[in-house]
Order: sequence, then C-alpha cells, then structure tokens
Amino acid sequence: MISEYAFLATGAGLVGLALLRLATSADLLMRVLGLNVLAVGIAMLLLVSGMGASGTDAVPQAFVLTGIVVLVGVTAVLLALAERIAEDRDE
Amino acid sequence: MLPVFDVVLAAAILVSAALALWVRDRIAAVSGFLVTGLLVSLSWLRLGAPDVALAEAAIGAGLTGALLLRSAHRIPCAPSKALPPSLWCAAGALAIAISGAIVWTVTSFGAAPVYPSLVADNLPESGAQNPVTAVLLNFRAWDTLLEIAVLFVALTVVIMVAPARPRTAPLGPLVQPFARVLLPLTVLIGGHLLWQGGHAPGGAFQAGAVLAGGAIALGLSGVIGSKLTRQNGLALLAIAGLAIFALAALAAEVLTGALLGYPAGEAKTWIIAIESALTLSIAATLFLLFFGPAERH
Repeated sequence: MISEYAFLATGAGLVGLALLRLATSADLLMRVLGLNVLAVGIAMLLLVSGMGASGTDAVPQAFVLTGIVVLVGVTAVLLALAERIAEDRDE
Repeated sequence: MLPVFDVVLAAAILVSAALALWVRDRIAAVSGFLVTGLLVSLSWLRLGAPDVALAEAAIGAGLTGALLLRSAHRIPCAPSKALPPSLWCAAGALAIAISGAIVWTVTSFGAAPVYPSLVADNLPESGAQNPVTAVLLNFRAWDTLLEIAVLFVALTVVIMVAPARPRTAPLGPLVQPFARVLLPLTVLIGGHLLWQGGHAPGGAFQAGAVLAGGAIALGLSGVIGSKLTRQNGLALLAIAGLAIFALAALAAEVLTGALLGYPAGEAKTWIIAIESALTLSIAATLFLLFFGPAERH
C-alpha cells in the first residue's frame, strides 16, 4: 500500500516537474528531454493504476510498451528537426 | 523492508529527474535522464511489469539517451532570458494543480478493472503464455501494427530531414577484442529475449532494441563501416517489418475472415514469425534513426 502511494506520487511528480520545465524553457533539447520525462510519468501512472491483487493488468502494460516505442520515434524526429533548424540559423 | 526501498527509490527518481531537467550542463542533463530511466525501470519491476521495465531500460533510457547525447552539442542553447517571477509562479501553481488532480483522480477511482479476467480467460487460445505478448500480438495486434507504422513514418521523416551523421571514433587495435565480446553477446541476448517473449518477460521490441544498441556501439567505434550503413539494404530491412506484418494481417483476413485473426491452433507459429520479422526491422529502424540515412545530397 505504501509502495503504491509512493509510485503514484512519483508519477504525478514527474508529470508536474516535466510540465513546469516545458512551460519555462525555450531550449529545444531540454524541451525534448522534458517531453520524455512527461511520458515516463504518465507511463508510471498507467502501471500504478493497473496494479491488482492478481498481478499487474497486461493491457496497460501493452499500452506503455507501445508508448515507449512510439516515443523513441518521436524523439528521433524532433531531434532531427531541431538539428536542422540550428543549421539553417547558422547559414 | 521493501516499502522502505520503494519510498527511497521513488524519492531518488524524483531527485534525478529534477537534476536532469534543471542542471545547466547538457551532458550532465542527459546523464541525469539516463539515471532516471534506469531507476524508473527498477521501479516498474517493483510494480510487477518486467516486460515494460526491460523496454524502458533498453529503449527509454538507453537509445533515447544515446539520441539526446548525439544532439547535445548540435542544438545550440537558447539565449536564457530570465522569466518574470509571476510567470514562474503561475507555471509552478499550474504544474502542482495538475499533479494534485492526477493523484486525486487515481486514488478516488474505484471501479474494478475489466481486462485481467478477459485476458486470463482467452490466454490459452492466444498462442503466447506471456499475457503482455498475447495482448500485443493477438488481442490488440492492430495497435502494434499501427505502432510499427509510426516507426516507419518517423524513419521517413528522419531520412527526409537528413541530420548530419554522428562522428565515429575508431578504436584502433582495441576494435577486435571489443567486437568479439559485444557482437556475440548482443545476438545472444537479443535472440534470448525474442524467444523468451512467448512465455516470460521479453519480446520483439526489447530484442530489437538490444540488437540496435549493440549495432550503434559497433558503428560508433568504427567496426561497422559507413559503407554498410550507406547501403539501401538496411532501409529495406527496416521497411520489411511493416510489410510482413501488413501481409500477415491480410493473409489472416483471407484465411479466417478477421483482420489479424490467426487460424485456430496456429497462433503461436504466426506470432513467432511476425515477432522475428519485427525484431530485425525494429533493430534496423532504431539504428537508422540514430545514424541517419545516407550522405546528404
């Protein structure tokens, strides 16, 4: 019970920290990093709410797995775009 | 004893995430993110989700950390203008309100979950004993097909944007011993995770990420020459996963009349065939997402 609340607070805390950073930073790399922390927080919340007496619910686990893979694709695209923006500014 | 461990772990995750988000040095920020990812994967083990913990350690911490490190010095720092305190307070209040609302929603939500019994009832026919693999490749295979399509779209965008290739640092005489250890280990762990996915934690995504991680390490140390990564074969391999999965979906439609409804009794064969193709394709996709496509024209 204590563990569940600790991880619930962690998930909510990660979401809050990431949102605060996203709202107050103009740095492109830090924004991508913040987006990743936000996603980890949300995944943590999904897993905590899927916990039950007979083990963790498999459906939210599959959601989180899908989310992790989609997120790495999104991160790669955002970083490629940010690098291209930086190059165009230099020219 | 374990609740104490969990509370310490939870606090450590929050502290390392705050460090990652606010430390000034970028390499330190990315390192903080890596540590956060590994601690989070440890906490997900404690939450009874080893499949997801493996994926977070390999993809969420490992590959995303490598991508961020690659870009750390290529994206210039934004000119840091100090925000007015009123904006800071407003953003802080909003973030705290959202976190509080989340905690309140999760704790006050009392409905009994409906999925566990459904998954348990249908598990014997699914062709996989691991419930997460059963959900990913049988019950909700449609989601996984679209997820592979998302990876394909991401690869397409990266190929069109064509970021500069990362600089490799040849290891010199150390290359041979390094590759001799790394290559067999990567293939062994990747293959083991893939095969194990049917009945224990593991699966195509974790296996693909391990293969990609090994390939990226070999690429950065100059073992995999740039000639190889410049060939179109790797891009074709990356696309093959989506193609094979889509073909399997259509074949299942013809055979059973349901999209991705595998013929009864043969589900295991179908799942292993699809997962094997996905593993290689995911590894190639992640490798290309890191190294970028061929030289810019």
